[in-house]
Amino acid sequence: MTARLQIEAVDVGYGHVGVLERVSLDIPAGAIVALVGSNGAGKSTLLRAVSGLLKPSRGRILLDGADIAGWRPDRIVDAGVLHVAEGRRLFRQQSVGDNLELGLYGSRLDRAGQTARYRLVFELFPILAERRQSRAGVLSGGQQQMLAIGQALMRDPRVLMLDEPSLGLAPIIVDQVLDVIVRLRAAGTTIVLVEQMVERALEIADYAYVLQNGRVAGHGPAAELATSDLVRNAYIGAGHG
Amino acid sequence: MDLDIIPSGLAAGSLYALVAVGFNILYRPTNVFNFAQGDLVMLGAMISASAIAAGLPWLAALLAAAALVGVIGLAENFLAVAPIVRRSSASHAWIISTLAYSLIIDNLVGHVWGPDPIRVDPPWPFSVTSFMIGGVRTSSYQLALIALTGLMILGIEQFYRTRAGRAVRAVAEDRDAALLRGIDPDRLSRWSFFLGAGFAAMTGLLASPTMYASTQLGPSLLVKGFEAAAVGGIGNNRGALVAGWILGLAEALGGSVLSPGYQAASTFALLLAILLIQPRGLFGQPEARSV
Repeated sequence: MTARLQIEAVDVGYGHVGVLERVSLDIPAGAIVALVGSNGAGKSTLLRAVSGLLKPSRGRILLDGADIAGWRPDRIVDAGVLHVAEGRRLFRQQSVGDNLELGLYGSRLDRAGQTARYRLVFELFPILAERRQSRAGVLSGGQQQMLAIGQALMRDPRVLMLDEPSLGLAPIIVDQVLDVIVRLRAAGTTIVLVEQMVERALEIADYAYVLQNGRVAGHGPAAELATSDLVRNAYIGAGHG
Repeated sequence: MDLDIIPSGLAAGSLYALVAVGFNILYRPTNVFNFAQGDLVMLGAMISASAIAAGLPWLAALLAAAALVGVIGLAENFLAVAPIVRRSSASHAWIISTLAYSLIIDNLVGHVWGPDPIRVDPPWPFSVTSFMIGGVRTSSYQLALIALTGLMILGIEQFYRTRAGRAVRAVAEDRDAALLRGIDPDRLSRWSFFLGAGFAAMTGLLASPTMYASTQLGPSLLVKGFEAAAVGGIGNNRGALVAGWILGLAEALGGSVLSPGYQAASTFALLLAILLIQPRGLFGQPEARSV
């Protein structure tokens, strides 16, 4: 069920502007791997390349050994890699229930399997069950983030990539979201976490990579990185490098 | 004033609504406004009229025309729309390319069929022969057309409640977010072009018993359909139905109270008045904005 994600010497750019250069990451199955670095380091670009919104110009992206680089996004979703983009990209005109239903688009689960997904999401985020009929656009920021994660969970991801899930949320909601991420790891989901609250991210992560100016500046077990200068330098030293 | 204008206005308005729905089917997942829609309607009318003249039953002619025109719509997506949208989803070059596609259809149809209108009888058991009911003159085909249009639009709205229909709405709202949920917008675009063009062909056949199948059908229905779509709120099918009926009634009223020469002017005046008060149309929603 769970899957390993390896990114090997990947180059990604927008048009002729290179953003990522020779980036390599190894994300073990069933681990939380944090991706930290200052704004513009290329974290979101990397996630967009893995989910197929951007095509790497070089390198390989291996999901349990199969190269998925350059696949269409819907195929990558089918393969079990789900990306919760920054900014709570929901379908605001549609209800909470309809957004979750859309999460099942293309799913081959039978009715019982689909019901089980709803049950899981409502168990992780009970507020979504209460607000099932509400339009997604009227939810609070925290509820929208829960819905965005819930929508991705409907497809039973093997790898879940979260881009800034805590952005703009109240501390108590951040706790709740991070708690859910830890529970998902316990269930075997591989997690890639991009997070600007670096300390919080390193608390729950097993391993971490530091991105700086489109390259991997360092990596190591999260607990070690939390006390090293590497992370601090990545933020202070942005622009050099 | 003559009450006959009510059924005749509603019947004509139903056709405008159907053309508008054809626009909407394509517009929803692609954000492309297909300027060839009127010519697809006309082409559907010509193909099915010829098929019926050759002895094919109505329903078979309808299906054949819908399938053929559907493929021509698919080709339009492939040749005139997809290459542009692929380069930049914000490009509006499809205005020119779909217009060009419409001119090509128009010219080809002119060569193949010539300028003479073809008469098409309504399908059994309906007829365009008028009769009086409660002091109003109408025909069984007029009434059937009005009822059928209402039912079809209800049916289409039901489709948008299914998972595939929701996916279409999702693509309209946020293309990238839809991609990340495993929805393939290109596939939905292809289906929409096929179905939108097939729907146009059906509209053409339905228009033929009252308007004749001719090359003139394209331009006139394009403008009226566009008016109905704009007044109803682009993308909104129920709005298109109400707007189509209002336009049909206004046209019939303008023709009977004023003079036939004022028909077009009176509907345009009404259209402008509605859009001045409601710039997004009667049922238009404010555009989705991500915060």
